Amino acid sequence: MGETIVDIHNLNKTYPDGTVALKNISMKAEKGEFIVIIGPSGAGKSTFLRSINRLSEPTSGEILFMGKDIVKAGKKELRTLRRNIGMIFQGFNLVKRLPTVRNVLHGKLGYMSSLKGAFGLFDQDQVEEALGILKRVGLEEQAFKRADELSGGQQQRVAIARAINQSPQLILADEPIASLDPNSSRVVMDYLKKACREEGFTTFVNLHQVDFAKEYADRIIGIKDGEIYFDGSGDDLTDEVIEALYSKEKEAVAG
Amino acid sequence: MKTASVNMEAPPGNKEKRASGLYTEYKRRRKILLKTQGTVFGVIGLLALWSLWGTGFNLLSIITGTYDMFVFMFTDLFPPDLTAIGSLIGPALDTLYMSYVGMVISVVFSLVLGILAAENLTPHVIIAKVSRAITAFLRSVPAVVWAIILVAGIGLGPLTGTIAIGLSGIGILGKAYAEVLEGMDKNQIEGVRATGAGWFQVMGQAVWPQFKAGFVSWSLYKLDMNIREAAILGLVGAGGLGYYLQSSISLFQYQTAAMAILMIFALILLVEFITAKLRERII
Ligand SMILES: Nc1ncnc2c1ncn2[C@@H]1O[C@H](COP(=O)(O)OP(=O)(O)OP(=O)(O)O)[C@@H](O)[C@H]1O
Ligand SMILES: [Mg+2]
Repeated sequence: MGETIVDIHNLNKTYPDGTVALKNISMKAEKGEFIVIIGPSGAGKSTFLRSINRLSEPTSGEILFMGKDIVKAGKKELRTLRRNIGMIFQGFNLVKRLPTVRNVLHGKLGYMSSLKGAFGLFDQDQVEEALGILKRVGLEEQAFKRADELSGGQQQRVAIARAINQSPQLILADEPIASLDPNSSRVVMDYLKKACREEGFTTFVNLHQVDFAKEYADRIIGIKDGEIYFDGSGDDLTDEVIEALYSKEKEAVAG
Repeated sequence: MKTASVNMEAPPGNKEKRASGLYTEYKRRRKILLKTQGTVFGVIGLLALWSLWGTGFNLLSIITGTYDMFVFMFTDLFPPDLTAIGSLIGPALDTLYMSYVGMVISVVFSLVLGILAAENLTPHVIIAKVSRAITAFLRSVPAVVWAIILVAGIGLGPLTGTIAIGLSGIGILGKAYAEVLEGMDKNQIEGVRATGAGWFQVMGQAVWPQFKAGFVSWSLYKLDMNIREAAILGLVGAGGLGYYLQSSISLFQYQTAAMAILMIFALILLVEFITAKLRERII
């Protein structure tokens, strides 16, 4: 068995308005695993991913990442942990007015001094590396275009390039293909899976499409009402389990 | 959809009754609308009448006044005293300095206050409220009033004008910046923050690209405005062309004053031209 990258114990998240989004989630992920998280809308998938890099503050619990507890990390430590965790969003979240290549270079911010990063003083090696990564996701021709001039699928590949440029141990992707057409969706998922294999990082992907989940995942986690409802391979995820996972009644029988 | 089809199939008598029911509703709403509009226009009209009476507005005095003004312009102001140009250069530069340095002062302080006031960037809601209160206060006092107060403290001269312009500018730019910053797309900021970027890096790489256009437009707009304000401020003794203008008028040197007015005019056009070019360049 591989090395454990993420080790989560009793993670809870209650939003300030009282919404209980995560209830006692515990799980482990190994190096290089491609994990797809599915579940009905409002189940807590986004909250789960966002708790891992603390874009959303967990209420209690422990998230061990590379041996350190993210939940307890101070500001500086959090930065170091975050640079090892790439994040990919449904809305791409690129800085729209900046050129594509600069968005990829942002992956290096966590490794730079405050001021150099603030003024975008990237050195030649860093620029060459970013251009190389853009080439890997098939976008070398778009390198100097403004990010918002690219199509949605291309923008998501830029976001993948930015994440790869962080040399991360973990990538969190929150519905990366929800706003893309089926063709671009496939291209984006292929690049993500390929990068995961080549770089050896662990990947958590939230998806709504169960067929995509079965096709790409090494392991599927089903979340329902803030709890892990299913954890297994694509083959174990039978139609009955899927139906129960997505059914409205809370007391649906597990498959 | 459903009600519509029911209406279609309903017997004629029923149909008419329904239509008239809707029609009264239509009339009722229309009446409310007209009433509100009537009230609003009525109030505006009354206010206008009140202010005409309050300012002693009278058509005859406008006509005779215009006549007198033209007589004054052509007999006393005309021709402008071109020889005064030499002694006007100094005051003209003072006006420019006041406007420019005043803008720089406002920009620097407004950046800090604007960031603190913007809901999405402020370290705390209370700090945002305080920052908003400071800018609102500075904004509510016109530059001329600041100048009058400062003349008493610092004395006559361009420094007074500069500070007066700077202070009132903070009021305007602080609010403008905060609004531009609040209009930013938070997803872009989150995208950069998630890479492990620190505060300065997020500001430089995610906030600045979104803020730049608004920042440049508002700052240059303020510079435009400052030139006008600087000319007025001179009248209360805060240096520059306005001061020169005021002293020549009080000495009845109207042709020198006319030259100063032309100079102010030229300066405003020049600065407008330059800021327009700059704006094109940067944005
Ligand atoms: N900022 C917030 N404040 C309060 N409640 C929130 C907030 N964000 C999410 N929630 C609530 O937490 C629960 C989980 O939301 P979350 O966004 O994690 O679900 P999800 O599984 O990602 O759903 P979807 O598939 O629709 O994206 C929901 O009930 C949601 O309403
Ligand atoms: Mg979600």
